[in-house]
Amino acid sequence: MATWVFYACVATLCWGVVGLLQKLGTNRISSRSLLIWLVVGFAAMLPLLWRGGALAGLGWRVLLIGLLGGAANGLGSWALFEALERGAKASVAVPLTALYPLVTIVLARIFLAETLTFRQWFGIALAVAGGAMLSYETELK
Amino acid sequence: MDNSSTVAKLEAAGKTRSVPRSGRGLWALYALLCIVWWGVWGFLSKLGSDQISPQQLQILFTIGIIPPSILAWAQLGFKVETDRRGAIYGILNGIFTGLGMLAYYAALARGQASIVGPFTALFPLLTIALAFAFLRERINRIQAAGMILALAAIVLLSF
Repeated sequence: MATWVFYACVATLCWGVVGLLQKLGTNRISSRSLLIWLVVGFAAMLPLLWRGGALAGLGWRVLLIGLLGGAANGLGSWALFEALERGAKASVAVPLTALYPLVTIVLARIFLAETLTFRQWFGIALAVAGGAMLSYETELK
Repeated sequence: MDNSSTVAKLEAAGKTRSVPRSGRGLWALYALLCIVWWGVWGFLSKLGSDQISPQQLQILFTIGIIPPSILAWAQLGFKVETDRRGAIYGILNGIFTGLGMLAYYAALARGQASIVGPFTALFPLLTIALAFAFLRERINRIQAAGMILALAAIVLLSF
C-alpha cells in the first residue's frame, strides 16, 4: 500500500468521526459551548503544529489571511453546530455542509478570475440539486 | 398548540435540548450559512497556502477562531456548559479535525492532489454510516438520493 493511502485513510477516518462527535456534542451542550470546547481541542494540537514552523518572519498580509480564515472556519462550525442543535441529522448536515467547495470555487472565479472547467460546472449543478434534496425534511423524527 | 409531549419524547431520545420546537425547522438555513463561511475559509486557505506551510496556516486558523468563540462565550454570559461528555466531544472534535489535517497534508506530500483530494473529501460517507449505526438516524428517499448527488458533487469539486 502506498504511504499516501495510509495517511489519506487516517484523514478520512478522523473527519468522518468528527461528524458524529459534532452531533453527539450538540445533543449534550449548546452550539456556543461546543464551539468553545472545540477551540480547546484545537489549542491542544498547537504543540504538534509548532514543529512544522513557527510564525516568525511572516508578512502582515498572509497573517491577516490566516487569522480571517480561522475566524471564517469558526463561524462555519458554529453555524453547523446550530443546525445540528436545531434538529439537523448528522447524516444530512455533514454531506450538505461538505459542499462548501462550491462557494470557494465561485469566490476564486470572482476574485482570482479563475475559469471553471466543465467538471466543476457539473459538480456545481450536482451540488445544488443534491443540497436541495438533502434539505428536504418530511417529518420530525 | 401544546407540543410538550412531542418535545418530551425528543428529549428522551436525546434529540433536542434547548431549542424550542418552533425554531427547529431553521436548521437548513444554518447549514447554508456554514457552507458560505467554510467557502470563505477555503478561499482564504487557497490564498494563504501559496505563501506559507500548512502547519503555519493551521496555527493562524487556531488563533483566528478565538474571536468567534469569545463572542459565543459572551453570549453565554461568560459561562460555558461543563457537561463532561459534551465537553469531551467538543475537545475530541478539535483534536480529530487537527489530526485529520496533519494526515491530509502528509498524504498530499506523498501522493497526487487530484487523487488525495477527492479520496479524503468522501469523509461524509463515514459520518453517514456512523450516524446510521450509533444515532439510529433514518432519512427519507429524497434525502437519500440527494446524499448520492452530494457525494458525487463533493468528489467533482475537490480536485
